[in-house]
Amino acid sequence: MRSKCDKIERLLSDYIDGTLSERQTADVALHLRSCKSCKREVVDLKKTNHLLENFYVEPEASDAYYARFTTRLQQRIEQSAPTALHQRLFAAATHLGWHLLTQLHRRIDHSRLGGFLSIRQHAFPYYMFGLTLTMLVVAPLLLNQVSTHDDGSHVLGRLYAAAKIRFFSADSSLSVQPTAALAIKQDKSGAQPTDIRRNVSSGRTTETPVIDSGSEVWLFTDEPMTEGYIFTTLQENDSDTVPSVALDIDSELLAYAEIPTQGAFWARLTGRDVLTENRYTLLLLQGMDAGQHALQQYERKRIGFKGFSQKLLDVPLETLSISEVYDSREL
Amino acid sequence: MERTEALLIADLCEGDETALAPLVEKYKRMVYRLAMQITKNHADADDVMQETFIKVYRSIRTFRKDAAFETWLYRIAVNEALNFVKRRERQREATLETAPEAEYEAITRYRVQIANDPHVHAEKAELRHHVTEAVNNLSLKHRTVVILHEFEGLTHAEVASILNCSEGTVRSRLHYARKKLRTMLKSYVDASNI
Repeated sequence: MRSKCDKIERLLSDYIDGTLSERQTADVALHLRSCKSCKREVVDLKKTNHLLENFYVEPEASDAYYARFTTRLQQRIEQSAPTALHQRLFAAATHLGWHLLTQLHRRIDHSRLGGFLSIRQHAFPYYMFGLTLTMLVVAPLLLNQVSTHDDGSHVLGRLYAAAKIRFFSADSSLSVQPTAALAIKQDKSGAQPTDIRRNVSSGRTTETPVIDSGSEVWLFTDEPMTEGYIFTTLQENDSDTVPSVALDIDSELLAYAEIPTQGAFWARLTGRDVLTENRYTLLLLQGMDAGQHALQQYERKRIGFKGFSQKLLDVPLETLSISEVYDSREL
Repeated sequence: MERTEALLIADLCEGDETALAPLVEKYKRMVYRLAMQITKNHADADDVMQETFIKVYRSIRTFRKDAAFETWLYRIAVNEALNFVKRRERQREATLETAPEAEYEAITRYRVQIANDPHVHAEKAELRHHVTEAVNNLSLKHRTVVILHEFEGLTHAEVASILNCSEGTVRSRLHYARKKLRTMLKSYVDASNI
């Protein structure tokens, strides 16, 4: 009888919710007729549900708080969304174009030709500006058409591992246990790394990365993180949306970058062939804005992806090199 | 003309930042409620809210249009809140700091106090406090399932999808959570006449 009770007991919650199959419901009902203990359990669980439904107090904030929150969120979005490089270039080109056209117009205005055009002298820069603008809009579209054909295999063919995990100075303490670390010493300009060393965790012991003065240490970790632009592989169950950022419980992290005081840096590591064999997903990050580009290019793939940093450790060091370091402040 | 949710999402995908505000307006209470119940702390809930909507903004292009936006948002908010709690616990462990239970208890009391009508009998106010506190005292896993299923009204399948676990796991957690609640609220359960 006890084993029967144990079996039934596990179904009682669903029995109360009415989510059992007809057959299971009938089994439980039959058992309850002859078992006082389980019947008591059902009554108690129902009473507990009743208490929750009627007396649990859900948290709520004031309208003033929500108003402040909305304002802060808006500010943060504005601050965190840097103007893309092409947008800045476009703005600069527009500004320069306008300036040159105005100068040109003034010169023409003082020449003989100026008399001919004098009727339209005020409209002239606007016409030219409009023409330039049209060209600036149309040209990238045409170029994009061409590059789309060129890069037909771009998304799936080229493989990068964007793996900037955490940036800290030599005296910083670690809040995550790295499974790998690259100590990168850069030249004075900060543009090119001059020395790259890798430290590897061994079992439970993680060696402290070798940090010379002037080195930056980038850590690789499997530990889920939440900040920064992050990209994960998909879960095996792709029946529902698994957004790349709604990771963390069971998802795996590929990329992370955050330097609170210095803006954001992105590194592009190439280890193409080896990583390709391991079927990593494509990531391409360039500056702060790269998140958007990468998102556009990001394609879902069902891939068996376990332990990014551990895989990275298997990559021969000579195939792994820092190809480019981007400083978003330069954009 | 008011834009539909689908249109707002489409506009946000196109980079129209103004489409975010109406979505925030619609879902801010839900996200706050969820974050507050999981983190048990207003300051943390505030952070979770921020991060959740920032992620919605940044990753809206990854949202599949045939899925429910609300479920997607639930997933982001819940994961964000759970990670927040885990991170906080790790930090606490590192600094040997104890969990501020007294603070949680005070928050619950405040919540109940605000929710109570001044004319409500003191006994009922006390009952509200104990029931709310009992839910707060559940383990993170059990609490999360209870919140999503009992209070947010999501199905087992939806909860499983959000937590990325099986429906069986959800059912099991829910069952054990209810049993724990029953034990914690034993005196009220015994006295109840339903």
